[in-house]
Amino acid sequence: MRKAAAIAYAALLYGFIFLPVAMLILFSFQGSQVPVPPFNGPSLKWYQAILSDSRLTVALLNSIAVAILSSLVAVVLGFLAAWGFARFSLKWPGFWKAVITLPLTVSYLIIGMGLLIFFNGLGLPKSLFALGIAHVVINMPLCFAIILSQMTANQANIERAARDLGARDWQVLVLITAPMLWPALFASFFLAVTFSWDEFIMAFLLTRFDTTLPVEIWNLLKGGLSPRTNAVGALVFAVSVILAIVFELVAFRKRNT
Amino acid sequence: MRNANTAGWLAAAPALAFTLVFFILPFAGMVLLSLTAKDADGWTLANYQQFFSNRSYWLGLKNSLEITAIVTLVSIVLAYPFAWILAHVVPERWQRLALLLAILPFWTSYVVRSYSWLLVLAEKGVINDLIQGLGLADAPIQMANTRFATITGFVHFFVMLLTLTIYANLKQLSPNYAKAAADLGASPFRTFWHVILPLTLPGIMVGAFLTFVLAIGDYITPQILGGNNELVLPQVIMMQIGRRGDFPLSSALAIILMLVITLAYVACARWLKLERV
Amino acid sequence: MMKFSAIARLAASASLAALLSATSAAAADLNALIWCDHADPALLQPFEEANGVKVNVKEFEGTGAGLAIVEQSQPGDWDIMVIDSVDVRRGVERNLFEALPEDQLPLADLFPEVKMDGQTVIDGKRYGVTEKFGYNTIGFNKAKVSVEDMQSLAALTSDKYKGRIAIYDYYLPVIGMAAMSIGKKTAELTEADLPAIKEVLLKMKANSKAVTDVAASQTALATGEADILVGGGEWVTAGIAKDNPDLDFSIPKEGAVLWSQSLAMFKDSKNKDMALKFIQYILSPEGQARLATSSCYWGMPASTKAALSDDQKKILQFDKQPEYLARAQMYPAPSEDLDKKMQDVWTEMLQSQ
Repeated sequence: MRKAAAIAYAALLYGFIFLPVAMLILFSFQGSQVPVPPFNGPSLKWYQAILSDSRLTVALLNSIAVAILSSLVAVVLGFLAAWGFARFSLKWPGFWKAVITLPLTVSYLIIGMGLLIFFNGLGLPKSLFALGIAHVVINMPLCFAIILSQMTANQANIERAARDLGARDWQVLVLITAPMLWPALFASFFLAVTFSWDEFIMAFLLTRFDTTLPVEIWNLLKGGLSPRTNAVGALVFAVSVILAIVFELVAFRKRNT
Repeated sequence: MRNANTAGWLAAAPALAFTLVFFILPFAGMVLLSLTAKDADGWTLANYQQFFSNRSYWLGLKNSLEITAIVTLVSIVLAYPFAWILAHVVPERWQRLALLLAILPFWTSYVVRSYSWLLVLAEKGVINDLIQGLGLADAPIQMANTRFATITGFVHFFVMLLTLTIYANLKQLSPNYAKAAADLGASPFRTFWHVILPLTLPGIMVGAFLTFVLAIGDYITPQILGGNNELVLPQVIMMQIGRRGDFPLSSALAIILMLVITLAYVACARWLKLERV
Repeated sequence: MMKFSAIARLAASASLAALLSATSAAAADLNALIWCDHADPALLQPFEEANGVKVNVKEFEGTGAGLAIVEQSQPGDWDIMVIDSVDVRRGVERNLFEALPEDQLPLADLFPEVKMDGQTVIDGKRYGVTEKFGYNTIGFNKAKVSVEDMQSLAALTSDKYKGRIAIYDYYLPVIGMAAMSIGKKTAELTEADLPAIKEVLLKMKANSKAVTDVAASQTALATGEADILVGGGEWVTAGIAKDNPDLDFSIPKEGAVLWSQSLAMFKDSKNKDMALKFIQYILSPEGQARLATSSCYWGMPASTKAALSDDQKKILQFDKQPEYLARAQMYPAPSEDLDKKMQDVWTEMLQSQ
C-alpha cells in the first residue's frame, strides 16, 4: 500500500518534470505555424529551417567555444587555488577562501551588470571574450569548492613522497596532483560547461552580434511564434542528453577502474 | 618552509587576482555608478530615494520576495518525498538511472524550458484540453501569463535541483539512525520527524538557499511566463537598461537586490552552521 | 558616465584592452543596430550575396537603449541604425548621424505622408529616410468581437471586453492611444497630461489578461488567449493572417498612432559606401517587399513601388492607406525627462493589480 502510494507519487512527479519537454518535442514536428494543439504534423520543415539558419549555427559554435575555454580557465585557476590552500598554511585562509567563493552568492544579473559597467568604463567593447571572463567569474568559485573538497591528506603524503624523490613543485602539480584529482577536475569542468552553455542574462548583456545560443534562441522567441523555437529546443536537449550520458559513462568507468 | 608558502601564494594568486579584478572591482564600480545620475554631474542618492518613493519599484521587490518564498517552499515540499522515494523505495541498482531521469530536463535550454511551459499552460494547451476533456471546467482557465505560470516554471526547475541535493543528503545518512529509533519504539512518523528530518536539514537549507539566490535574480522565467501582469525586481532593472539605458538607476536597484540576497545568506548561515556543530 | 570612466580607467590594464578590442568585428562587415524585422535572413541574404559583405545585426528595444549602446561603443563600431522617425533628431543632436545624399535615394517613390521631412530633415540636411510604417491601433479577432465596437477606443476600457484584451508592451504607442482616447494630441503631450493618461491605462490594464511583446502578442491572438490587442495593427495580424484569416485591425474614429521607422547612417562609419548601398537596397522595390513581409513583423513599405503580390497588398490594406494616414497621429516623441516619467507611468500600470 505504502509502496503503491510511493510509486504513484513518483510517477506524478516524473510526469510533471517531463510534461513540458514532451510537448516541446512533439510540437517541434508541428505542420502549421502555431505550436499548440491540435497536432497536425509530423513535419520536419522546422528542423530544416533552423539547420539552414547560419545565425543559429554560428551561435552554436560560439556557445561551445565560450563554454569549453572559459571552463578550462575556471578549472585551472580553481585547481591552483585549491592546491595552494589545501597544501600550504597560508595566512587567513578562511577570509581568502570566502573571497574566492563570494561570486557564488550573487545573482548572474548583478555580476553581468557589474562587468558591463566595468568594461564600459574602460572603453572595452562587448564581445564573446568579455562573456568568457564573466563565465570564469561564475564558474571558478564552483570549481575551486569542488576540487578543494576532494583534496585529502593522503594525497598530500604522496606529493611529499614525490618531492622527496626530487620532483619540483610544478612537476608534482602536473604529474601527481592533477592525475590523482582527475574525477574532481572532470566533474567541475563538466559542471562549468553546463552552466556556461545555458547561461542567458550575462550573454545578453555582454555580447554584440556575435552571441551564444541562448541569446539567439531568445531572439528567435522574440521574432514571433513558430515551431522553429521548439525545434531548436529539442535539438539542444538531444545534444545535451548525449553529453550527460557520456559524462555518466566516463565518470562511471573511472570509478570502476 | 617560507619557500613552500610562497609556492602556495603563487598558486592561489591568479584566482584571487581574477576575483579582485573581475568581481570586486566591477561591483565597486557599480556602487559608485549607483550614486550618480544619468544626465547630471555630481554624487547623489536620488536613485535610492526613487526606489523608496516610487511604489512600482518597491512592488517589484515585494513581488520578487513573495514569488521566491512560494517557489522555495513548494519546491522543497514536492522534492523531499520524491528524493526519499528515489533513495529508499527504488532498488539500489536502478537508483542512478532513476535520478538521472529525474534531472534530465535540466539540460533543456533554460529559455526554451520557460517557453514550453507557456505552450503547455496556454488556453489551447494540453492542460486546459485535459481539464475540459474531463469535464472539470466549461471554459478554458487562464494559467499562462500569470503568477501561477511563473511559479510553475520555477518549481519545475528547482524540484530537479532540490531532488538532487536532498537525495545526496539522504544517501549519506547511515540507515542505523532509523533502525535505532525503531528499536527504541519510535513510530515511522516520529522517526522521520525527530531523527531523519533534522539530519537532512543541512541539505534542505543548502538547496533552499540556492533556490532563493537563483530564483530571485532571474529575469527569463517571469518575463516569459508572467505576461507582464506584475514585475519582479530583475524585470524592473532590465526595463531601465533595455528601454532607457539608465545604468545608474539600474545599478542602484541591483545593489538593493544584492542586499536582500545577503540578508537571506545571513539568515541561512545560522542554519548552515548546524552542519559543522 | 564620465566620472566613473575616469575612476575605472585608473584600474585598467593596457594589455587587457588590447586583448578585448582584438575580438571586435572586422571592418569589412556592415554593423547594423536594428529592430527584429531586419534580422530576417530572407531580407539580408540577397544583399549579402550581391555585395559580398556580411551584415552583423544587433537588436535593441527603445531609442534610449539604442543610443546607450552607441555611446558605449567605440566610434566606427556601427554603420547603420534603424530608429523611430520621430527620434532621428535625438541622434542628430548627439552628433551621431551623417547627412544622406538625397539625389541617390528614391525619395519620389515614398508615400508623401510618411516622408516625415519635419522629423528627418534637420537644418536642410536629410539624416533619416523612412523605410516602413504602420499603425498602433486595435488588432482583433473578428470572429470573436463586434467589428463595430472596434471603431472606437472606448471599447478598450469598457466592461464588455473585460478579460479578453492583451496590451502591446511598449509604452510610447499605447500611451499615445490612451491620450487620443481622451481627445489629446500625441504631438503635444506634456507632464500635465500624464495623470489622465494613467487613469485610462489603469482601466485598460484592469480589462487585460497580459501585457505582451511582439511575439507574445502574436501568440495571444493566434491561440485565442486574447481577442483584442491594444496597440496592435497590421504588424501583428498580417504575418499570421494566413493561419488565421479572422485576425484584423481597425483605425478607430479617434485615430491611431502612426509608427514609422527610418534608416540612418553613422557619421563615424568606416564603411559609408556599403552603408549607403544597404539603404538603397532596403528602399528598392525588392528590399521594400522583403522588409514589409519580414518574419518578425509585417508593415507597410514606405515605397509605393514595393514589389508585393496582390494578396500581400490586400493583407496590408494597401488601398486604404490614404484614408488611414489622414486619421493617424504621430508617434509620441517625449523629451528625456518626460520619457522617464512616461516609463514610470507604464511601470506603474504593469504593477497595478
